[in-house]
Amino acid sequence: MGTSVKIGRRMSTGDVLFDMCNVIFWVIILLLVMYPLWLVIIASVSDPDAVLAGKVTFWPVGFSLSGYVGIFQSDQLLRSYFNSIVYTVTGTFVSVFVTMMGAYALSRNFAGKGAVNFFIIFTMFFNGGLIPSYLINKSLGLNNNPLVMIVLGVVSVWNLMIARTYINTNVPGELYDAAVTDGANHFVFFFKVVLPLSGTIMAVLCVYCGVARWNDYFTALVYIRDRKLLPLQTILREIVASLNSTAASMIEDADKMDTINVAAIKRQAEVAKYCSIVVSTAPAVMLYMFMQKYFVKGVLIGSLKG
Amino acid sequence: MRSLAPDASSDRTSSGGDRNSVTAYNSKGAPWNRFKRAIERDWQIWVLLLPTIAAFVLFSYLPLYGVQIAFRDYKAVQGILGSKWVGFKHFTDFFASYYSLRLVLNTLLLNIFGLIWSFPVPIILAILLNQLVFAKFKKFVQTVIYVPHFISTVVMVGVLYLFLSPGNGIVNKAITALGGQSVFFMMEPGWFRTLFISSDIWQHAGWSTILFIATLTGIDPELYEAASVDGANKRQKILYIDIPHLIPIAVMMLILSCGSMLASNTDKALLMQTSGNMPVSDIIGVYVYNMGLGKAQFSYTAAINLFINVVNFITIMMVNWVARRVGTTSLF
Repeated sequence: MGTSVKIGRRMSTGDVLFDMCNVIFWVIILLLVMYPLWLVIIASVSDPDAVLAGKVTFWPVGFSLSGYVGIFQSDQLLRSYFNSIVYTVTGTFVSVFVTMMGAYALSRNFAGKGAVNFFIIFTMFFNGGLIPSYLINKSLGLNNNPLVMIVLGVVSVWNLMIARTYINTNVPGELYDAAVTDGANHFVFFFKVVLPLSGTIMAVLCVYCGVARWNDYFTALVYIRDRKLLPLQTILREIVASLNSTAASMIEDADKMDTINVAAIKRQAEVAKYCSIVVSTAPAVMLYMFMQKYFVKGVLIGSLKG
Repeated sequence: MRSLAPDASSDRTSSGGDRNSVTAYNSKGAPWNRFKRAIERDWQIWVLLLPTIAAFVLFSYLPLYGVQIAFRDYKAVQGILGSKWVGFKHFTDFFASYYSLRLVLNTLLLNIFGLIWSFPVPIILAILLNQLVFAKFKKFVQTVIYVPHFISTVVMVGVLYLFLSPGNGIVNKAITALGGQSVFFMMEPGWFRTLFISSDIWQHAGWSTILFIATLTGIDPELYEAASVDGANKRQKILYIDIPHLIPIAVMMLILSCGSMLASNTDKALLMQTSGNMPVSDIIGVYVYNMGLGKAQFSYTAAINLFINVVNFITIMMVNWVARRVGTTSLF
């Protein structure tokens, strides 16, 4: 490794060897991580016959976007995609806002704070479990109600804690004292000072909440009965994550089935699976990529507390 | 999870000045007056807390109140309070049932094997990542290994089904091309745990390095300088500087994991369950989902859930106690 010699101190042969092995190790890890992702992407743009024959291994074979055209003609998939966007955007907005309010409050001193902390942490150790939660939520009118996709899990203990730690370390108490002298109260201070100073942690919370909501299928599986209200992941489950899945589940009703060439659909079913994986995963990964710079910084601050 | 030792930092801020000062509490008069004063002073804070508290009451505490159906024979028409008390009937039913041992064993084994295999990986990765000398390459590696964490469970399992399909999955194509016999991985009980755990490691090991990387970044550089002056090589620096610094946080993570040895990753197990791997993939969470929601056995499954919860809690307390006695690290 020629470059490693440049870093000043002369390195022992053992250390140079170590660095070389380390680089090789990471190249292998990178391949292990990236190859499955790459394989899904190239399969999604390859010729269906080549995919079925297992000829697609390192490079797309017979480039074709027919799979994507196919899934964008599926009403079911498009509607669930739209539903997921609505659930994710509203849910994330509400979550981040509520979490920031709660975290700010918990960063102040007030009578009864210890009790509130206990009240919140207690829920990490004891929960009602699936069935009691289901019965309670049903009696709250959340069964088969799209609202359930937004209010369920609106705050998590973990998010509250990292946001509180962030506010503690980044919004000095003296700022509040100064603001009070200028006639500000907690509400004004929260909106005018705390939120503008908390960009990093809000970006992190956005990624946490947004990705969690986008990727969640279980909530809908338990609570949503109406197919028109289902989010993307639940539909995706029918398409890719079961033993006898076919792309036919993308097609709404039997009538439509007749008008479209069934044989062609079956042939494309395999590629359509890859396409729907790409289309459903892209938003979450892109959100992470965009927010990455805030992300590493914010997460570090959150986890390095104390 | 890491912030279980609450308030270590929260007390240090904001105690400076403001109207919270001690004098406010010195007011003579009945507790009622003190209460009124506290409300007068803090009501805005309570307003800001209101949505958080409401969410925990609705979605955490009301279900806890609903846990009593574990001791009742819940009927929808009679409601939670109207249903008949039956004591520990559902618990004894569960232990007497044919499935209970299999369920508990399946859950326990999946978690134990999962812990053994996936616990060391992020620590090793973090140490080796920290040793990478090329800043650009390091950054690139970090970006890439976090990506799988953002893939949904549905997609992860979907990819398993696609790649491992006996007919045209790439893995079986490779096996048959090499002259082997095609394997129906998703139907084989023997493959379930391996696939479950290895796909978990692929997805989350990279992401889990964050905490350990953060710890390593926090180590005083002078320590390494001093070690270099003394002629330490990289292996020695890892052994005598990196690892000792990682132990406290690793122990904490380990204690936390021990508190979920009977917990279930229901989402994933449900997706990976097939008629073939049922003898191994039937874990408590999936059973509760199938029996509870599928067959409306509300009280019975609530009892199972409660049992798991209590066992998990006792385990974490015991492990924590041992850790405090033996070592220096504990949650509380």
